[in-house]
Amino acid sequence: MIRNRIGRRAALVGGVAAVASPAVLRAQTDPIKIATLTPLTGAGGSYGPVMAKAAASVVEEVNKAGGVLGRRVVLVSEDDQTSPEAGVRAARKLIDVDKVAAILGTWASSVTTAVAPLCWESKTFLCTVSGADSITQLPHQGFLVRTQPNSRLQVTRVGEFILSLGAKKVFTMIPQTPFTQSTFDILGQVLPKGGATHQSLIYDDKKTTYRTEVDQALRTQPDVILANGYTPDTVVLLKDLYRAGFKGKILGFAYSINQKLVDQVGQNEVVEGVYTFAPSPAEGSGAYERVKAAVGSANPDPYTSQVYDHTNLVLMSMALGKAATGEAIRDNIRKVTQGGGKPVDNAVDGLKAIAAGEKVDYSGASGPCDFDAKGDILDCKFRYEQIKAGKFTLVKIA
Amino acid sequence: MDVVVQALLNGLVSGTLLAVPAIGFTAMFAVLRFPNFSVSGVATLGAFAGYVAYGAGLQMAGALAVAFAIAGVAGLAFDKAVHLPLVRQGALPAAIASIATGLVLENVVRLGFGNDPRGYDRPIARDIRLGDLRVSPQQLETMALALGLMLAVFAALAFTRIGKAMRASADNPELAALKGIRPERIAMMASFVGMGLVGVGGMLLGLDSSIDPLTGTRILLSLFAAAVLGGLGSAPGAVLGAFLIGMAEELSVLVVGSQYRAAVGFFAILIVLTVRPRGLLGERAF
Repeated sequence: MIRNRIGRRAALVGGVAAVASPAVLRAQTDPIKIATLTPLTGAGGSYGPVMAKAAASVVEEVNKAGGVLGRRVVLVSEDDQTSPEAGVRAARKLIDVDKVAAILGTWASSVTTAVAPLCWESKTFLCTVSGADSITQLPHQGFLVRTQPNSRLQVTRVGEFILSLGAKKVFTMIPQTPFTQSTFDILGQVLPKGGATHQSLIYDDKKTTYRTEVDQALRTQPDVILANGYTPDTVVLLKDLYRAGFKGKILGFAYSINQKLVDQVGQNEVVEGVYTFAPSPAEGSGAYERVKAAVGSANPDPYTSQVYDHTNLVLMSMALGKAATGEAIRDNIRKVTQGGGKPVDNAVDGLKAIAAGEKVDYSGASGPCDFDAKGDILDCKFRYEQIKAGKFTLVKIA
Repeated sequence: MDVVVQALLNGLVSGTLLAVPAIGFTAMFAVLRFPNFSVSGVATLGAFAGYVAYGAGLQMAGALAVAFAIAGVAGLAFDKAVHLPLVRQGALPAAIASIATGLVLENVVRLGFGNDPRGYDRPIARDIRLGDLRVSPQQLETMALALGLMLAVFAALAFTRIGKAMRASADNPELAALKGIRPERIAMMASFVGMGLVGVGGMLLGLDSSIDPLTGTRILLSLFAAAVLGGLGSAPGAVLGAFLIGMAEELSVLVVGSQYRAAVGFFAILIVLTVRPRGLLGERAF
């Protein structure tokens, strides 16, 4: 009996000692944990799985090259189901149970908006691909960056492209959306700088004809019309512009003016010469080539390229900050990607340079990844195409 | 000034197209005594039935006939199975049920064709210019089809036995029954023809633009407003109402902006119900 008791006590003491004593030592060898929180299901379900794969490829390469700060990196991948509720549950698990230093790749703006407060409160770093302007205006204390151009950057570039077409009178036709007013405001600033005037009209996207709206637009004799709706209403609008004999240039976003629209209009003259516009990955860059190889696709989407960049940035920031924490990432992410230094396009090269005490400047698969104080990217590439004989032909990537 | 005339002209064209389903809606109300909101789903169904028929190589008239038949049969089936048993409890339960059946039809179409918009494979031509005004040759063609159809409906109501029986039954069901007119037969006829017109209307409205599962839902408010404005139950009233709503909607683009188009329909209903609840032409002016 007594022997037994002593034995138990001894075992207990021994156990505690075994667990407690090398704690400091173990922290050195414990893996660094980061996570992807992408939509594996739901509306974004076609993007999320590939995004997670791109992140995993970076982690694998870095681990092969010896990890970060001498530690192995572990990537945990969760599904936000493209739903804020599911996103918050998954984020709680990642923060409280897995204790990750960073969450990468939240896709829907609603999910990012819901998850962001959990992140900044727990000092977990969040990298997102969501576009809504409001996201970087959250009080995130620096614990958030996004690689997707916000609508201000997108519309500014649209305006500049319109000016490059030699426009003098621009007319925007747009349905009522969350970005309608900001589109007007931004174009109203950008176009006059290039000597063009801007007028606009909000239309009802449920109408079956836009003849009167088109009449109103054409009265102002525009040389460029920005058709800024979604596919169904833009089909009707383009047909009515053609019927009315509009001879100027037409421009629209690629999410609306796409192959589906061309097929549906069914008559090539109607859409001949229409320009389209979309944020573009940095095609031709070394990082983009790596993403192609990593996900086994000839043209990975912008979100996949962005998550690839998130992973590289976060790992290099931790290395520079010499700590695997959200705070280290916050304090160093701008130091590894902007302000000059040795140009790198992947974390393995970057980590080597950082270890050698060199300053690095990362340019990634989605673009230069330079951030302003609020966490918005300063610049990215855009892809301009023009419809010729029913086919989309590349005008430029710039 | 030209802009206003052009807007009125555009309104006239859309009013003509709106008049066809509005006649169907109001004729059904006259006989069946409840507002059948499943017209939204039936108009979509008609538009897609016509789309399939036209895509299969039928001429325009043939495709319209298919749209009429499919929409008519579907409308009749839902009336028989769902709306008419409920109308005995009052117009409201039947009207609410018809909103549900409209949703069912809309989603059946969605199941078969998906959410993507589709267009009839018709050539898109430049407009004809008459001075400062312009009209599209396709619109003239569509308008002629709609006008022809309306004339046929009015001729049938005025001169055929079944048309007279429908008018009689709408005017006074008991008296009509005493005269040997079978009310069930008239009800079935009203369902079939009314919904057939709604289906054709859906197709006519889709010819120039595009169709998707929400095609019918988009016109529901304008259609209802047209029928109420003209006087629920009155076929000429529905035509007048459709022209007025069509023109008011286009003029509203100039005055308050296109985004307030939906308000025009509601505003018309509000005014009519406040000032002249029977509608412009009264209730029974067939």
